[in-house]
Amino acid sequence: MWRTNLAVAFVVLGTLGVYTAVANMIPQVQSDVPEELVLSADVSPEELVAAGENLYAGSGGGCTACHGLGTRAPDILGTAGSTCETREPGKSCKDYLYESLVDPGAYVVEGFQPIMPDMSRTLSDAQIWSLVAFLESQGGEVTVTGADFAGSDDGPPPTPADPVTDGDAAPGDIDAAALVQSLGCTACHAYGASPGGIGPALSEMAGLELDYLRRSIIDPAADTATGFEALAGTMPATFGELLTESELEAMVTYLAGGAE
Amino acid sequence: MSESLRHRRAFWGVGLVLVAFGLLALVGAGELLAQDASQIRRYGDFPVIGARGAIWITAQVHLMFAAFVLGVPMFAIVVEAIAIFGGDKRYDKLAKEFTRLLLIAYSATAIWGAMLTFALSSLYPVFWSYLTTIFGPSMWLYAALFIVESFTLYLYYYGWDRWSEGKAKYGHWGLGILLNVWGTIVMFIANGWLTYMMSPPAEVAADTAPDQVQLWSAIFNATWMPINIHRILANVVFGGAIVGMYAAYRFLAAKTDEERAHYDWMGYIGNFIAIGALIVLPFAGYYLGREIYEFNQQMGITMMGGFMSWLWIIQAFLIGVLFLAGNYYLWIGMGRIPGAERFTPYVKYMLVVLVAGVIVWATPHTIIASRDEIAAMGGTHHPFLGALGVMSAKNTAVNLMILTTFLSFMLYRRANKIPVVNWARSGTIAQGAALAIAAVVVTFYGVYGYFVTAIVRIGFSVYQVLAVLAAMLLVVVLDVMMLRGAKSRGEIRWGQMPPRSQYALFVLAVTFTWLMGLMGFARSGIRQHWHVYEVIRDTSAQAATPALGPAATMISVCVLIFLSLVAIIFWLGGLAEKPAHKDPADLVTAVSRGGEV
Repeated sequence: MWRTNLAVAFVVLGTLGVYTAVANMIPQVQSDVPEELVLSADVSPEELVAAGENLYAGSGGGCTACHGLGTRAPDILGTAGSTCETREPGKSCKDYLYESLVDPGAYVVEGFQPIMPDMSRTLSDAQIWSLVAFLESQGGEVTVTGADFAGSDDGPPPTPADPVTDGDAAPGDIDAAALVQSLGCTACHAYGASPGGIGPALSEMAGLELDYLRRSIIDPAADTATGFEALAGTMPATFGELLTESELEAMVTYLAGGAE
Repeated sequence: MSESLRHRRAFWGVGLVLVAFGLLALVGAGELLAQDASQIRRYGDFPVIGARGAIWITAQVHLMFAAFVLGVPMFAIVVEAIAIFGGDKRYDKLAKEFTRLLLIAYSATAIWGAMLTFALSSLYPVFWSYLTTIFGPSMWLYAALFIVESFTLYLYYYGWDRWSEGKAKYGHWGLGILLNVWGTIVMFIANGWLTYMMSPPAEVAADTAPDQVQLWSAIFNATWMPINIHRILANVVFGGAIVGMYAAYRFLAAKTDEERAHYDWMGYIGNFIAIGALIVLPFAGYYLGREIYEFNQQMGITMMGGFMSWLWIIQAFLIGVLFLAGNYYLWIGMGRIPGAERFTPYVKYMLVVLVAGVIVWATPHTIIASRDEIAAMGGTHHPFLGALGVMSAKNTAVNLMILTTFLSFMLYRRANKIPVVNWARSGTIAQGAALAIAAVVVTFYGVYGYFVTAIVRIGFSVYQVLAVLAAMLLVVVLDVMMLRGAKSRGEIRWGQMPPRSQYALFVLAVTFTWLMGLMGFARSGIRQHWHVYEVIRDTSAQAATPALGPAATMISVCVLIFLSLVAIIFWLGGLAEKPAHKDPADLVTAVSRGGEV
């Protein structure tokens, strides 16, 4: 009888053990509580972007459940800040992004279903504006300021902040490293501490022909780097419009020189 | 070892377990009393496992017992009906045997329910106050019905022998039906509370005072009815699985062929009911999932593609184990049926379909991937496996698995029978054609789904389900008509089952129980850091929803507690069967050896 009891105990505990072990071996994703965001009126764009990135990548915002999979919602990493200008004629990037978070049904990108929830039900105004700032940083300029959410409900939409570079500057005067950051290139390309992985590392572009680099930035679909064929089409085709001629040249020179 | 020594050891074992539970409760109570009672706390604390852990365990174990005491009465009235209308007294004995276990399980359910209530009111006092303000009247009704249900159960069990003949027997069966009615209403009421936390009515917002929330509107929320239906079916599955486990243990411990035959037969009935209800359970789950998406897209996406996406891979693995273990039991069982050997060559093909189905079902698709993982895969989906991870492939796999399991049952049922109707051959061909057409329809829409948009593809799953259900219905109707007055190839040799078959029943019961815990975590966890989704935020220190690993450990602890207590209940049930006095010959032998009697 004891042999039977032991065998039964072995089967029961063994089954439980297998299930517990399998569940502990797979990737562990915990749903953290979004932290309360306290931002002063003089918050810097970098602080806003960092706060927004935490919300975007963490479970607080829940954004990555759809954005990034390529099927449920548009892929917005690296592109949101550039595509936002073209979505609704007459609407600024910032206004469009804010609207897409608090009134997502107002404009639905073609080819997708209206499944985006109203984020104002779960996030504070400061959190929503930090998300707007982060999305602007993905290929565009960060124009959100503390004024947007400090007693925000009354005033008109704030004016955009200064652009990253002076449009009249000569290529030699432009800080291409800052451009790389502000355009959101590091969301996909390895650069400094950014791991990249979606596109080739910027340092690997050293020695490439200037024409090739120029074409890759303006018309990324023209060529696809070896080893990244499955990710073709991920890079936005809007950098030609976003960059001034001087900025483009500064960037091309910077990349050809090894991006250092 | 003598019988009395075994009983004494078991008595001390049970005593030690109860003392351990008592000590833990005392420590907990001491900690709680030590907290500042002068202030209304939002959250209390519980030693070692924390407040969330305490609620998790008490709620989960209570739910497991609740499922047991709701599932087994359904089982009992069906079995009793077979005895009444089929005239087979064995079924009546079987139904009574289970009802006896119910009495003890009922007490355990009530005890764990009380522990859950105390835990909620002391560990989450503010939230508990919120719930009682909204649901107070329904809670009183719940308590009243619980009393009525208890008395009905006592009447049902203790009146079994008194009302065993004639019209009185129908009255007794009516009591069983009433018992199910009360139990179902009680479950529906409690489901209203928990589904409100998941899907509160749209008019309820964070600033809505609880006394302004309409009771009926709160109960009749978006996920209430889907959960009700899903739980009814799941309880039947669970009841059947626990019955199967009980029978398996008694089979292994049996000392006579007669006993072994009885518990072999009981195990078969339990497995039949569990797998039979399991076949339709995915459809109820699909309905529930659809309603969750309808209620809140983000909640649905969090559940299926968000931080819980891996949970469904584990679920697929578990359901694969259920299908494989259930079919394995049936295939081994064919060894005791004269004539079943003619179906043996088909088993390997059915096994291939089941294994392939499990592999496809357990293939991940839309899983949150880091940048490194996307880069490693070379895209957002795996270049080859990604194609198998989409719903088209998964729906096809699960429908083919259901058809295969259904086929196993039909072969088992047909094994020792020779139909005598003159259209038997045509009928069998029609049955085969129905199953083949269903398989073709399922496969066709599965492949076609790759070439259409997502919205159209989702609609295909309805055609696949309808094809499977229609085929199963047609085959069963034809089978019943065809086997009327059928000749027998020989009686089933009940009891002649290898012991390994019984361990399959244990695996089934443990897996069902664990799966129940996992799905409970999914249902509750998709609220994330909300007590009531998007209405009342959980601001406690343990508001984060744990990853699957820690959750699985907690689920295993709950299952272990539940199964240990069920083992005690089975042991107590066995004690009631033992004769008060042993055979005189045994007495003489024992006394002459100086042993205890």
